[in-house]
Amino acid sequence: FDVIVLGTGIVESVAAAALAKAGFKIAHLDINGYYGGDQASLTGDELVTWADARSVFEPDFTPYIAAQRAQFASIVRSTNPLAHSRHFSFSLLPALIPAVGPFISSLIASGVAKYGSYRVLERVAVFDESTQQLRSVPTSKEDIFKSTELSLVDKRRLMRLLSFAAGEFENKSELVGKEQQPFVNFLISEFKLNSKIAYAITYATAFCSSADEPTVSALSRLRTFLRSSGRYGASPFLVGHYGGLGEIAQGFCRAAAISGAVYILGQSTLPAYPPSLENGNKYSFQIENVPEPLTADIVLSAQDVLPQSLAKARGPTLDECGSSVACGIVVLNRPPPFPPTLSPASGERDQTEDQEGLSSGIVDTAVVVFPPSTVSGGSTTAAAHALITGQGTMSAPVGKYVLYFSLPVDRRADAKTALMPYLDAFVACYPNNSRPTSEFEVFY
Amino acid sequence: MHGVRRSRESREAREARRQREQEELNTYLSLQEDILSRKKDKDWSKDAFDLTTRMLNKNPEFYTVWNYRRLILLNNIFRNSSPHEKIDILANELVMTISALKVHPKVYWIWNHRRWCLENIPEGGDDDDMQGWRKTCWKRELYLVEQMLDADPRNFHAWDYRRYVLSSMPIQRPETAELAYTTKKIESDFSNFSAWHQRTKVLPRLWESGKLDKAQSLQQEFVLVQNAMWADPDDQSVWLYHRWLIGSGDDYDSLTREIKGIHELLEEQPDSKCMFSPILATLNLTNACVSGCMETLVHYKRLLIRSHTSRLGPEGTQILREECLGLLKQLEELDPLRRQRYRDLGALRRRHCQ
Repeated sequence: FDVIVLGTGIVESVAAAALAKAGFKIAHLDINGYYGGDQASLTGDELVTWADARSVFEPDFTPYIAAQRAQFASIVRSTNPLAHSRHFSFSLLPALIPAVGPFISSLIASGVAKYGSYRVLERVAVFDESTQQLRSVPTSKEDIFKSTELSLVDKRRLMRLLSFAAGEFENKSELVGKEQQPFVNFLISEFKLNSKIAYAITYATAFCSSADEPTVSALSRLRTFLRSSGRYGASPFLVGHYGGLGEIAQGFCRAAAISGAVYILGQSTLPAYPPSLENGNKYSFQIENVPEPLTADIVLSAQDVLPQSLAKARGPTLDECGSSVACGIVVLNRPPPFPPTLSPASGERDQTEDQEGLSSGIVDTAVVVFPPSTVSGGSTTAAAHALITGQGTMSAPVGKYVLYFSLPVDRRADAKTALMPYLDAFVACYPNNSRPTSEFEVFY
Repeated sequence: MHGVRRSRESREAREARRQREQEELNTYLSLQEDILSRKKDKDWSKDAFDLTTRMLNKNPEFYTVWNYRRLILLNNIFRNSSPHEKIDILANELVMTISALKVHPKVYWIWNHRRWCLENIPEGGDDDDMQGWRKTCWKRELYLVEQMLDADPRNFHAWDYRRYVLSSMPIQRPETAELAYTTKKIESDFSNFSAWHQRTKVLPRLWESGKLDKAQSLQQEFVLVQNAMWADPDDQSVWLYHRWLIGSGDDYDSLTREIKGIHELLEEQPDSKCMFSPILATLNLTNACVSGCMETLVHYKRLLIRSHTSRLGPEGTQILREECLGLLKQLEELDPLRRQRYRDLGALRRRHCQ
């Protein structure tokens, strides 16, 4: 082989597909029995197995598991079994796909987009500290027009900001000299937005992660999103069906296989030998159940999967990086409590036509942003995000909704402790008589 | 033609192409002669019918041949067909026009043929419903129009055709449903003259029939149009609809309220106070928001003066007059391309007030 790729996460899979299409002979190996590695899509039972393998005490484990335990240091899961476990597709790394950008261009150009299906994000909401409720965030001229929460003056100013951000702002007088100012302050001083709207735009439209992100980078990102909206629908983001990234990784593996790559899943890749005179200056792997060793000139590998014997010049390991992301997967039995969209338009709404097939008013695929310092007990420096997916993305059975929480935290933080305040705040947004119950939780 | 590469054709290839084109031309001309002479001789045979099909496939803009085709259908084919056969033939005609429209979507004669077919659908139906066939065909037509409007919501031909289809349907759809349809189109993109225009057709009918209370409905329409105006004051369709709502300005309260609102909008523009830029003038650009606001204000203040002099009193009228002239002066500087128009408006004002 020319290249052996270890691990079938999204990065490795894209690389394998590109190399295979370019004509290289590829062997793609994954110690797990499934595709996707750390971004895999797993059913309920598979997720439980995954969590237990990395948290329950065992006398000895493989180097791969050891590395995984180091990465996911605080796995906690609920003990009750999950009903209809087979109908769930949980994503270990929830993701949004911008409608315009290098990722979607690769998806389309490689043909992998055809293997999966996607859904346009329906709503983005921001958690409002003062009301402890969710508020929709307008991101386009149509949203602004339809909003019943903004005053006319607010609409005008917000529209001015969006027009400014969507254009070539680099040398405009409003920006010159203020590029490094925190984005929120810029919005308030230059565009006279009130602080509520400024916060909503900063965290839920430009998706800034922290309060001090400079204006110029936030504006650039905002411009990408504004230019992405309208391509597939009002929102600039797509969510993949059946668990998102895991399916897409598998799609790229399929593309690689069509171009001749060889796939071996579920087999240990040890022992592994670096290039030496004995094996013709190639890397060599002995796979169980495969008589001849696999050899290659180049090895591409995910961090946790690279055997120690080959680890000569690696980049900084996770232990050395200070930050990490706390993740939580929670299954609820009620749709998210978004305020219904009213409109300033009069006349009867034609309720009978709803192309989505879902009854109008229920939002199925959405993002909720919790800006810093809005949730008591939550982070004061970073924004937390929750991606909500339901049956619309084929990732949950009818009536169930999966909440994916994520929050940048310090390396040593415990995932559940960091995220519980957000789950509590979210559940408190529901009216008293229709609070959801959490049917299943995993934090890592 | 611009942008088309000159193809390097050898003389032989060019000559061969010329021969082919000449042959095609000859075939076409002989077909044309054949058809026209048959028409003169009132040939209503099936052969003639097939010839028209051939010709119309080549050139659907040849409306004489469409007429001939219809004459054949009327004088021969329909006379000898049962209603069932007639509906099949018409269905076939509709299919033919659809494939022609895909290639030539703007040819009026194809659309006319469709209209003729739809209007000639016989009474009858597959069940006992005597309007059954008609209902199905018109419903399908409405679906076709909606697809066209989904593809391009600003296609005014499609909106016109929509009005024709709605009025021709055997069972009329409620006007409120049509209002909701315009609302849907406006909400998805309010920069749409045709959708607003459709509203101006539907609303008066609803007011007249009593289905909607006019005063309340007008209030809601003002709220709707204000939201659009504030979201995008550049959009001319919104201003036009607003003028329609104001009408002749008989309602003093609405007029003064709207004038106040537009003044606020004008204040909100960051450059409403500054003078025009020479650069803008050379680029033929005007600050559309500001000039839109101002010109509308002039128009509405004029309406106030014209319709409500008694209520305003002589002082009130004089103040308004001066405000108008002030605005017009500002407009002359902001929008120098239309300077003379503003001067004319100003002169009219003075004459009117004498």
